[in-house]
Amino acid sequence: MATTTATCTLSSADILSNAISLSSTTTLYKDGTTSTGLEQLNYHRLLLTTNNAPTGTAATQFDLIQDSARMNANPANYVYIINKNTDVTDYVKISINSEIIGSLYGGDWMFIPWSDAITDTEDAGDQTGDDSSIEAQAFVHDCEIEYALFHSGELLVTAGDS
Amino acid sequence: MATTTATITLASSDIADNSFSISNTSTITKAGSANDIVHTTGLTRITTTATANVVLINSGDTAGNYGASAAGGNVITKGKFFIQNLNDRGDGSKYVTLLQGAVVIGRLYGGDWAFFPSDGAAGDDIEITPSSTTETTLEYIMFYE
Repeated sequence: MATTTATCTLSSADILSNAISLSSTTTLYKDGTTSTGLEQLNYHRLLLTTNNAPTGTAATQFDLIQDSARMNANPANYVYIINKNTDVTDYVKISINSEIIGSLYGGDWMFIPWSDAITDTEDAGDQTGDDSSIEAQAFVHDCEIEYALFHSGELLVTAGDS
Repeated sequence: MATTTATITLASSDIADNSFSISNTSTITKAGSANDIVHTTGLTRITTTATANVVLINSGDTAGNYGASAAGGNVITKGKFFIQNLNDRGDGSKYVTLLQGAVVIGRLYGGDWAFFPSDGAAGDDIEITPSSTTETTLEYIMFYE
């Protein structure tokens, strides 16, 4: 078991007539448990290109975090994504299925629970079909992003050449 | 003009061989600009026993509380949204499902929070669906253009 905490602090001295200061901390637990922490972590940094370099094909949405029946069966997952670009006009559009959730401009981050509610395949190499994969697409310039997935089980693809 | 910041800290001493710690702060600005967002719904607290969908943010609404027809109102479109489930963990089986439009994002168990950008247009409402009739208390706030 591992103990991982996530804290969010929102503050503004002047968006209202009085200051706003919110802080919330949660511990990342497995589904259906009261004290068993998530033990698995994927942490990535990558360059999300606008032209699908090096192939240079048209810009598209990519499956940043692939759905799987394993994720779907363990619905207490958490996702953190940050756009590390410093130009505030560069952005990454984050989608799930057909829904554009929102856009992360340079410096923006997000943290969401992710239950992978719809899974269509056990094959991590198969991006076809409607599913709840977390998709990302870069606009304006290539975007450096970092993302973390805290989870309790993922699909490992069976080696095809063993 | 207003300056609002959002900071995240992720920390674990034992999820990996070495300690894992991330901290980042972003300033909440309008899309593609350095100009600050100046509108907010303010902090809202609700308590519900519903098991049907509850609309928290009626995106693109032109007639509601934040609609253009309301006095001084503004249509909520793009922005940043924060929500927390104030219930305790309980037995770990109760949660609210967080949705945007008809798409499920994930589950907020007691104590959990989420913060994400929303490009919400008409129909892209932010909603929750509680998993049971257990009384659930939530707080949320949106900063929007």
